[in-house]
Amino acid sequence: MPVKDQKKPAPKANAPVEEHRKHADEILAKDEYKEKPGALGKSDEAKP
Amino acid sequence: MIYRPPFIKQGDGSRCEWTNCNCASHAMAVMRHRKGVDPRNEHGWPPAPAEIRNRLGACGGTDLAENDLAVQHLYGVNMDVRYNIPMASFRSLIISGRGAVVPIWYGVIAPTRFDASPGFTGGHGIYVNERRSSDGAYLVYDPLADHRRKAIPQGPQWWPASLLQKAAEAFPGTRGGCIHASFTRDTEV
Repeated sequence: MPVKDQKKPAPKANAPVEEHRKHADEILAKDEYKEKPGALGKSDEAKP
Repeated sequence: MIYRPPFIKQGDGSRCEWTNCNCASHAMAVMRHRKGVDPRNEHGWPPAPAEIRNRLGACGGTDLAENDLAVQHLYGVNMDVRYNIPMASFRSLIISGRGAVVPIWYGVIAPTRFDASPGFTGGHGIYVNERRSSDGAYLVYDPLADHRRKAIPQGPQWWPASLLQKAAEAFPGTRGGCIHASFTRDTEV
């Protein structure tokens, strides 16, 4: 039986920096966040 | 002490200045990534929105991926471009020592005191340098915040986390609770 990929929640804001760093490395390693959405917008012209 | 890059405005009189938000934000991200150190290559230093734009070509809106390619070529900076990451994970990436360029929808900012382009309500790019632990606010470098008129903010501003999230979630192609962002390296290790 396939094991369902369980997403680990991000550490609480006041957690030690090392926990945030570990989570950050895990997030950056995941392919799912590298996929560019089809309907992605672009920036527009601002007003001077 | 987290490295703070100098503020770089997009309204610098160069070609395409009012569509250079992402270029200016990436110029600030490059400074953070390199902690202000010149790569000493054949390109200019410090990073400039106009140089990034010239690498991209014609005027008009830009996105994270094309700016990433431009700053790789010009300054040897390889940003980590990520889409639809949960806001709590974005927080971890910032707390752990990275800066980020974030696409936002300016219509969310327009009614607030952070509005730096009255009448503009479209897609925009900002640079986020750090998070303040006391209230969770983010230090945002809006490249439009150049105080060119009295009511326009000047330089980096502490935006409430809820405002940043709302503006980033409203950018087209973004899932609820998530945002797109392009991260610098961790400069605090």
